Amino acid sequence: MATELQVLIDYIRAETGHSGALGEDDDLLATGVLDSFNIVSLAMYAQERFGVEFEAEDLVRSNLARLSSLVNLIRTRREAPIS
Amino acid sequence: MPASIPRYLADTAQRLPDKAAIVSPARTISFATLCSEAMATAECLREMGIRTGDRVGICMEKTIDQVLAILGVLYANAVVVPILPRLKGPNIRHIVDNSGMAAMVTDAERMNEVAEFRDTLRLMTGHGAISTDLPNLPYLRRFIRPRNFFNRIGNDNAAIIYSSGSTGRPKGILIAHRNLAEGADIVAEYLGTCEDDRIGCVLSFNFDYGMNQIWQTIRKGCTLYLHDLALPNDLFALMAKERISALPVMPVIITKMFDRRLKVSPTSFDFSALRYVCSTGGRLSADMISDLRNAFPRARIFSMFGLTEAFRSTYLDPDKLDAHPTSVGKAIPDCQVLVLDEQGEECPPNVVGELVHRGATVTKGYWNDTLNTAKVFRSHPRYPGETLVYSGDRVYRDEEGLLYFVARGDEMIKTKGFRVSPTEVETEVIRHPDIVDAVAFAVQNIAVGEDVACAYTTTTGKPIPEPVLRQFLKMQLPNHMVPALLFHFESFPITGNAGKLDRSSIKQLAHERLGLASPSTAETGRAVSAG
Repeated sequence: MATELQVLIDYIRAETGHSGALGEDDDLLATGVLDSFNIVSLAMYAQERFGVEFEAEDLVRSNLARLSSLVNLIRTRREAPIS
Repeated sequence: MPASIPRYLADTAQRLPDKAAIVSPARTISFATLCSEAMATAECLREMGIRTGDRVGICMEKTIDQVLAILGVLYANAVVVPILPRLKGPNIRHIVDNSGMAAMVTDAERMNEVAEFRDTLRLMTGHGAISTDLPNLPYLRRFIRPRNFFNRIGNDNAAIIYSSGSTGRPKGILIAHRNLAEGADIVAEYLGTCEDDRIGCVLSFNFDYGMNQIWQTIRKGCTLYLHDLALPNDLFALMAKERISALPVMPVIITKMFDRRLKVSPTSFDFSALRYVCSTGGRLSADMISDLRNAFPRARIFSMFGLTEAFRSTYLDPDKLDAHPTSVGKAIPDCQVLVLDEQGEECPPNVVGELVHRGATVTKGYWNDTLNTAKVFRSHPRYPGETLVYSGDRVYRDEEGLLYFVARGDEMIKTKGFRVSPTEVETEVIRHPDIVDAVAFAVQNIAVGEDVACAYTTTTGKPIPEPVLRQFLKMQLPNHMVPALLFHFESFPITGNAGKLDRSSIKQLAHERLGLASPSTAETGRAVSAG
């Protein structure tokens, strides 16, 4: 998890300028670190950076707003790519 | 019944006590409970020293607790001042100082932004965990037996909504109880909002449009479903599950709802309950209309138009949308829209003039700003003793009487549903040590309305690497105000002998660099070709 998590954290810090805490289980929309625009950018970045493809049902708040669930999604889609 | 939201709520709470008023992911609240908890909130505020007419800031995320804070302030005979939660220190400071704020209700996530006010304001939390630090309204109201001591009349002050102008800092628009109550009745009338409706609320309660959804819900006894739109599939799932029947949106929300990158497939959901979609805050593009029609074939689509000074001016009859997709329609009920030339005479069809609004939704003026109030809130010899809103917006009427928006009189940038003042962006850009001067302006981008663009000059004459400058700006400005487009100029053109920056030339040069036609300026009295 460490690598993916660090890559995503670096991206969010660069994208938002947020320098405070970033817990992997924080809801980043609720804490205001991400807004409704850059959560979409984050999802796009994750797909490109890790060479995975998300399906419509993956692109929901419960998968993307917490880094731990996003890392899980990336791993799931890497192991079971959409045919 | 006298026109005010507190009276409307007391009435609906008696008529439909157990019906769900607001549904959020965390909680559902009935009309009776909404009313009693709002009164209890008011009593907490009174206990903390809030007096009649005091301005109370509300800087919170969209929750039922935020609605209770808003209603509590109204029941306390005080004045609601919404503060967008994404604003940073200096922007909040302006609103606090200008409104002469007595207290602020916030939530845990906002504490860093508002901590600097704790010595001068009564700070309290309206949502979230109890701490030993600040009074917590949800906790305190549990111990209070609600009483109704609301005693305002329709003309009394209910809210001040801060809105950016092209020059200077945001101005506070002073709204009477009567404006809120009549706004609810007028909008519900032309949209046909009724007791059976289930309104999907993706709008924020920091603006008149979002707040009006609360007022309509209270007035009509319908149900409001709160949703924070981030990923459209979540919204679509909610709409299908709850059988949402009314969906108020803005162009930027429509863009988000049908973002192709998110592989949305609205046709896989059941939206048969959806009766209407309404939109304001910018023009609906042909793509937006077709996306809405494909997703919601049974819904009527209302395109609407207005400015906060008069809340809402026009709406287009949905049956006319296909024949006149660019029209903003006609005046809302109980209001009249005039198209006036510089002499104050009505313009003939197809001649551009200023939109002047008269009627029930005209607000009381700008708080603490007689100079600007006198410019916008004026009389007309034909209507003695009456105050009209001179919007500055350029519009014309076709032979059928339908109105068309041409341009703003001022330079406001409308982006992602926000009104951004060039001055506010420029003030932060020139804080960069290497930047000499900056000019911010709008560049058309149908996806978000307009992009914030900014041209700048440097001490070295060389551009600042874009990621570096953008990183700097992200620290200073809320996201929606960070320029999407940055242009380095070696030097700026200057106007005649006044020595001012030639803003329109700068804007034009930037548009040329983008390969875009430069924006035309509409003049009063100019005839337009074929409407």
